[in-house]
Amino acid sequence: MNAVFGKEAVAKSRRSASFHRWRSRKDHAVRWLIAVGGVGVIIAVVLIFFYLLWVVFPLFLPAGASLGESRSMPGWERSDPVYFSLEEQLEVGLRVTEAGEATFFHIPDGRELVSQRLPLAPGASISAVAKGVQLDGKTAVATNDGEVFVFRHSYETRFSGGVETRKINPELDFPYGRESLLDLDFPAVTGLAFSDGNDAMVLAAVGPGGRVRVKHASKTENLMTGEVTLEEDIHETRVSFNATAVAVSGNQRWLYLSDNQGRVYSFTLPALEARDVVQASDSAITAMTMLLGGISVLAGDADGVVSQLFPVRGEDNRFHLRLIRQFDGSGSPVAHILSEQRRKGFVALDTAQHISVYHSTAGQRVLYEDLGGLQPRKIALAPRSNGLLIEGAGGRLQMMDLDNEHPEVSFSSIWSKVWYENYEEPQYVWQSSASTNEFEPKFSLTPLVFGTIKASVYAMLFAIPLALMGAAYTAYFMSPQLRKWVKPGIEIMAALPTVILGFLAGLWFAPWLEENLASVFMLFLLMPPGLFGFAWGWHKLSLGDRLRIPAGWEPIVLVPALLGLAWLSGGLAEPVQGVFFGGDLREWLSNTAGISYDQRNAMVVGAAMGFAVIPTIFSIAEDAVFGVPKALSNGSLALGATPWQTLVFVVLPTASPGIFSALMIGLGRAVGETMIVLMATGNTPVMDWNLFEGMRTLAANIAVEMPESEVNSSHYRILFLAGLVLFMFTFVVNTAAELIRQRLREKYSSL
Amino acid sequence: MNDSQATAAAPEAPAADEKIAVQVRNLDLYYDRTVQALYDINLDIPDRKVTAFIGPSGCGKSTLLRCFNRMNDLIDDCVIEGKIIIEGKNIQKKKIDVAELRRQVGMVFQKPNPFPKSIYENVAYGLRIQGINKRRVLEDTVEWALKGAALWDEVKDRLQEPAFGLSGGQQQRLVIARAIAVQPKVILLDEPCSALDPISTLKIEELIHELKEDYTIIIVTHNMQQAARVSDKTAFMYLGKMIEYGVTDQIFTNPQEKRTEDYITGRYG
Repeated sequence: MNAVFGKEAVAKSRRSASFHRWRSRKDHAVRWLIAVGGVGVIIAVVLIFFYLLWVVFPLFLPAGASLGESRSMPGWERSDPVYFSLEEQLEVGLRVTEAGEATFFHIPDGRELVSQRLPLAPGASISAVAKGVQLDGKTAVATNDGEVFVFRHSYETRFSGGVETRKINPELDFPYGRESLLDLDFPAVTGLAFSDGNDAMVLAAVGPGGRVRVKHASKTENLMTGEVTLEEDIHETRVSFNATAVAVSGNQRWLYLSDNQGRVYSFTLPALEARDVVQASDSAITAMTMLLGGISVLAGDADGVVSQLFPVRGEDNRFHLRLIRQFDGSGSPVAHILSEQRRKGFVALDTAQHISVYHSTAGQRVLYEDLGGLQPRKIALAPRSNGLLIEGAGGRLQMMDLDNEHPEVSFSSIWSKVWYENYEEPQYVWQSSASTNEFEPKFSLTPLVFGTIKASVYAMLFAIPLALMGAAYTAYFMSPQLRKWVKPGIEIMAALPTVILGFLAGLWFAPWLEENLASVFMLFLLMPPGLFGFAWGWHKLSLGDRLRIPAGWEPIVLVPALLGLAWLSGGLAEPVQGVFFGGDLREWLSNTAGISYDQRNAMVVGAAMGFAVIPTIFSIAEDAVFGVPKALSNGSLALGATPWQTLVFVVLPTASPGIFSALMIGLGRAVGETMIVLMATGNTPVMDWNLFEGMRTLAANIAVEMPESEVNSSHYRILFLAGLVLFMFTFVVNTAAELIRQRLREKYSSL
Repeated sequence: MNDSQATAAAPEAPAADEKIAVQVRNLDLYYDRTVQALYDINLDIPDRKVTAFIGPSGCGKSTLLRCFNRMNDLIDDCVIEGKIIIEGKNIQKKKIDVAELRRQVGMVFQKPNPFPKSIYENVAYGLRIQGINKRRVLEDTVEWALKGAALWDEVKDRLQEPAFGLSGGQQQRLVIARAIAVQPKVILLDEPCSALDPISTLKIEELIHELKEDYTIIIVTHNMQQAARVSDKTAFMYLGKMIEYGVTDQIFTNPQEKRTEDYITGRYG
């Protein structure tokens, strides 16, 4: 040391007080910068969490309703309404009176727009009305002189400028002419049902004494002219029970009747052949209607309970009507059930002036309101289900706004098995959209959570043994010169974009695996005994000494041995398949073993995602093992332990906190991984541990569907809920992992 | 056993009659295959005596010590030529079971290195790796070894607590207990007190005195007073060569070599 220089330097620094100030300021600044950065990260994560929560939260808000102003409508108190309706913009309503007067009116100011009389015979009045199951404005009316007509109301919206210039022109027409479509010899019709599809039209009327008369008209469209001709067919039957309500399915194949004993009867159409009788309730059925889509029939009873029934394919391969679920009642008889036009929801009005809003898939009542004092004579549900138009006592018109954005979401519809329409039993299904509006969205997150777990489990099964054993070998046995190349080599695998991994897995590996399935399994079988045999022979023949391969350089001979084994299993695959699996393992799996095989399956994902996870686990675990103080392993070796004993009893336990972190970080990566599962799983949301079937994960599901979903729709929010679930999942796993790691570290902390 | 005890009973036996525990003949050692660290070492280490290796840093005394249990095997490209004979066997031979050799030749390092386990498990470890798992045997041996290392009274009530809770000196005695639990013939001490305070050092030195009743002890030390206090024979090494080897009293009072004298009197080091 140069003493003079040292002293000078010290003296100099003493002189410059500004240097001290500068130094301490720098220290402060850096401390602040780091604190701001750290806190910023935490705030960002918390904000993401709250943003997710904020988007998801409305799903769980209860529905609400508020009554608007009431308006007295001139002349309404003198006539009885038989039909009441309103259009999408809540601007124009339609009221049809018993005498056949159809009046369109402007809802906000009560003005009469157009008035027209239905083609009733003079003096006749309307005895029954049936809205078409398709909810497209076509409505059937039966008169007390035994005639049945169909009219249609439609609304043409015109804009001459902006939204404020909107003009709605209501129109009333008669798609099947002004002639009676069905003549009834029992004018006192007690029930009327109407279903008009693309292929057929059905009108069904029920009269006193159990008389049922059905008109079934098949439609044929002239290809040249586009003209539709009807091929009519009228059936009649007499039932022995007291029919209280009637409904016809949307596909014109089923007729449903109810009685005052709580039973629902199904009949085939057009043959009118009795099929099933289902006890839907304990008391009389008082109202019946079809749910949107015309598959489910809703039957309300005298206790206010609404039952949902639909035909289910039975063991005899024929459809049988089944009671699916029941909805809480109000205690008073159901007077009227209105189906929503865009969702699988419905509104029930009871005789005690309560309205209940339900959702069938969610299986819950979302709203219950007392219309006390209004004494509704007729109500109509807006096409968007955002309002109810009520005609109260004394001809008063009142609008009730409904705030019911997400009725389809309930705990059970997201997590439990749900019996969906057309399904044979309750199931967990994720199917968020289809081509028609009548589709019942299936929002079960269970198969997605399952898929996520399945993908991660297979990936970890593949990755953990390879990564950990590789890490232990590299850190503890491998020669430093070799390690210098191997470790960065494996770490660089992590830099491979997952989209490329997914692409390779889906488009190259999956088809390759399907063709070479037997070789891969042969390799799995041959590898352990093959490698052990090779090692034994190596040791017996002392080849290590003869070939002068120093300790820690074993891979130089093991890698060729491995390649040799792979080549051997490729060669053996053909004969083994021939002898045991009838020539082809892939065929054998599907045809003989009955195991379904998807090309993009859990095995492909396990390998591809395992490949993505290995570098992470390997790198962290290798550092942990390598970081175990040499003093400890030397201490163990000096006691006479073999290197293997030292590794197992001293090194690995000491490195266990780090190894555990490695596993958890790997698991976190596997759970959140998107591109690989998106491209290599087939994205089928099935719940099956089968190694040869695909899955759909939460992350991939979000990636697939988010661009398609309408902002702020239930689907959109449920996708955010999936994101929140994923977030919580990784959060819980990481927190648990950190706690365990802390405990391990406490136990094994050294030096 | 009986035979060797008889030898130890004769205190001032002439060197020729002494039973030899470790014989070193013409030992050369190279690091990285080419850098020579030990030159032609010849040494007879007496049984059940304490032999101290002294010398300045880097003189090769620790390297020599590590030859006796082949810890130098762990260093890549370390080449050893010559013979080391322990229990009548040349331990340099390939066929030697290194793990068994290390059981017979225990080693205690400069820094205490207890395992991240309980006190009990630390001592029992050596037995467990020999496949001894009987509870009785383990308990008896642990107690015996801890008593042997003069630690029993201090830890007998907290055997299941982590070994890291002990002080540095206690940890070092624990490590000695761990070494004697497997009943070695020779114990190698590589500067066992350099990381300890004077009182702990004193305890270890007392322990060495007791241990030489049953074990051959070879100690590497920087501390010449320590060598003078604990050892029966002392070897002075310098730059990889054995400069002088003899009875401790004689080395410290009447060294034959000039370099030994210079070192002992503090001329260099």
